[in-house]
Amino acid sequence: MELKKHWAARLDDYAIDLAWSPDGRFLAAASSAGPISLFQAADGLRSHDLPGHGQGTNIIAWAPPGNLLLASGGQDGAVKFWDAGSGQHAGTAELATDWVEHLAWRPTPGSGNSSPVLAAAAGRKLALLRPDASLAHAFPDAPKTVSALAWQNTPPPRSGEPVPAPALAASHFGAVRLFDADSFALRKELAYANGVNALAWSPDGRWLVSGNQDPSVHLWIPAEDDELQMSGYESKVKHLSFDPTSRWLATAGGRDACVWDCSGPGPEGREPAMLAHETPVSALAFQNTHGLLATASHGGEVHLWSPERRQPLRATARLPDAVTKLAWSPDDRMLAFGSEKGVIYVLKCDA
Amino acid sequence: MDPIPVTVLTGFLGAGKTTLLNRILTEKHGLKLAVIENEFGEVGVDHQLLVTGDEELLEMNNGCICCSVRGDLIRILGRLLKRKDRLDGVLIETTGLANPGPVAQTFFTDEEMRASYKLDAIVSVVDAKHVSAHLDADDESVKQIAFADVILLNKIDLITDADATALEERIRKINSVARIYRTKDCSLPLDKVLGVGGFNLSRAAELDPKFLEPEFPFEWAGAYELPAGSHAIAIGHAPGEDHEGHDHGGDGHDHHHHHGNENELDVAILPWESAAEPAREEEEAVKVFSEWEAKLKAGDTAEPGSRLYRLLLDEGCGRFKLQVSKPGRYLVFEQNGEAPLHIEVAGDTVKPSWQKDYHAAHEHNDAVTSVGISQPGTLDGKRLNDWIGTLLRTKGGDIYRMKGVLSVKESGKRLVFQGVHMLFDAKFDREWGSEPRQNTLVFIGKNLDRAALTDAFEACLVD
Repeated sequence: MELKKHWAARLDDYAIDLAWSPDGRFLAAASSAGPISLFQAADGLRSHDLPGHGQGTNIIAWAPPGNLLLASGGQDGAVKFWDAGSGQHAGTAELATDWVEHLAWRPTPGSGNSSPVLAAAAGRKLALLRPDASLAHAFPDAPKTVSALAWQNTPPPRSGEPVPAPALAASHFGAVRLFDADSFALRKELAYANGVNALAWSPDGRWLVSGNQDPSVHLWIPAEDDELQMSGYESKVKHLSFDPTSRWLATAGGRDACVWDCSGPGPEGREPAMLAHETPVSALAFQNTHGLLATASHGGEVHLWSPERRQPLRATARLPDAVTKLAWSPDDRMLAFGSEKGVIYVLKCDA
Repeated sequence: MDPIPVTVLTGFLGAGKTTLLNRILTEKHGLKLAVIENEFGEVGVDHQLLVTGDEELLEMNNGCICCSVRGDLIRILGRLLKRKDRLDGVLIETTGLANPGPVAQTFFTDEEMRASYKLDAIVSVVDAKHVSAHLDADDESVKQIAFADVILLNKIDLITDADATALEERIRKINSVARIYRTKDCSLPLDKVLGVGGFNLSRAAELDPKFLEPEFPFEWAGAYELPAGSHAIAIGHAPGEDHEGHDHGGDGHDHHHHHGNENELDVAILPWESAAEPAREEEEAVKVFSEWEAKLKAGDTAEPGSRLYRLLLDEGCGRFKLQVSKPGRYLVFEQNGEAPLHIEVAGDTVKPSWQKDYHAAHEHNDAVTSVGISQPGTLDGKRLNDWIGTLLRTKGGDIYRMKGVLSVKESGKRLVFQGVHMLFDAKFDREWGSEPRQNTLVFIGKNLDRAALTDAFEACLVD
């Protein structure tokens, strides 16, 4: 297995976010200063330069497959929508005076409503937006700033009961709230007496995981009112990723990526795989449909791992600069990295 | 990479904080600064104003308010790191009423904050004309003085020099280590405010010299040549008396602290035989003052020797016999330097041939004060850590600031640390090299027990 340089491109500032279009044709990359570039995945040629947000862009997110639509959130308190085909601005939702820091498209269409919906958080505000930038729903303000968002794919099936709508999880200091994706009702409030930096659902919808300030990882099985706490991290946990089978949970807070086995009763009492970096891990992600885990660090080291193997390290590369983000292409064959100096690196992963 | 220095700017509305802020924003200082305007929830980077969230207090440690930090700041500061060109500094303006604690503590919260930022200085702008009234009336302004590393006595043109000196003296009683500048329109070189390198205790010359003097359980001593025989100690003024002798009553200072019962005065009389400065005698007197006292009623007899007498007075006055068997020079140590004390030989008041005022240790004062410790030697790192840990856990609420430069056995480098309430940060900076290993430690807060702090510190010294 080997990582080969495919292409590289330069942004005007720190690469604050990047994301592959669901059809795999484009890589969108946002600079912290504001502009968003759309690169052709095949050769790295710039398709479009979008102005983004004048005061700085924080986050970007592609709409689900079937829509070549990119959403962005900025320090201007707005969510903007961009038609990636034409490179045109398609709409703006003025959400708040606070920074828009979290965006998440609902991954599955709702019942009787096939239009995609985007959850957006700015300060204590949480809203659902339609692709035309209109407001679908405004949730009651959270007591403190919304710190992370995650949609459940589908709830786990339960025998004899109709499958409920999936949940939208939104955290603030002190709790994680679960909202019904269809009725928008608050379904549960999971207390957590510290700051939550990241949220992730397992793809099968069973586990909800938070990466915490304290520093720890907390796991819930909301359907069974069960919860676990895994601590011992070097520093606050900001990075979480499940593998597509929902068995492996990769987490990082410090110099080790720590992979927990979430099969059966979960990771409690099990030894995690500790995947070491020389410098703090700054990004990690499992492949979309395969089992490789990519991790990258402040020192620019990139590692590929098969966490279930006895010798988990599969490939290594070194980038010249601190990695800020990484993302697998939808076909899992390319890995994109953003760096502090604003360079986008795309590597090919050859088996 | 070096941490980005952060300046926290505090001050009541109208003190001139905005004037200073505008100067920093508009003057050509060549620094790439981000300014977080807290009152309006705005951040300006390179003079561009950006909107942020509202003030959000996060209690880091099981609801303990002393450990609270500002969640909004963590987010803003995290975002400010996400740029290609590193900032040269961050300036945070806090509201007039905001306790600067949670803002300052934010820089000690997590690895990212600690690694990326350092608290350079807390700068307080005070209205020289009105601050005295505030200090009388509310705790918040006392806290702003106590927390500060740099204090601007602004609008200094509106008060007299004498008032300014008195104000400085009052501020020094709360915070002995802040650098005080007198300004008009906050006009001073910006390097006095930005990038001041925090609190650098090695520049001890900038400290109030009295502050680091050892404290004594007595405030005054006078030397008298006494023949053998029966003499008298007279306390208080007799009517029509000409105030000859030891009397501090007319020095114009207000004395806010009250030293226990005004009808009791502790004294000790020790022989001073050597020609040298009475260092040994002072040491002996400290011991004597820690002993049980012998109570003397008016007319009772005291004798020179290692014995503490408590003179019982009537409305601040009293006469006692002083029996001297061996002629010579004697030191009379007096607990309260304000109480008029006269020695009479054969009915005549004699003047002291030598006298000295001492920096007194005040027992358990609930006002906000500073305690400084400066001692040579080397500390045991583990004992130090245990002590500071316990101290902050139990007293962190009362300790506003703690700063120090210490020498620990485990390292050849200076251990520089500072804390705000229960949260603190310690880093080794440079080698001691040929510099003498001197430990300097400062606490600013309420209910500080100097003796207990000093004892605990000394227990950490390696023998």
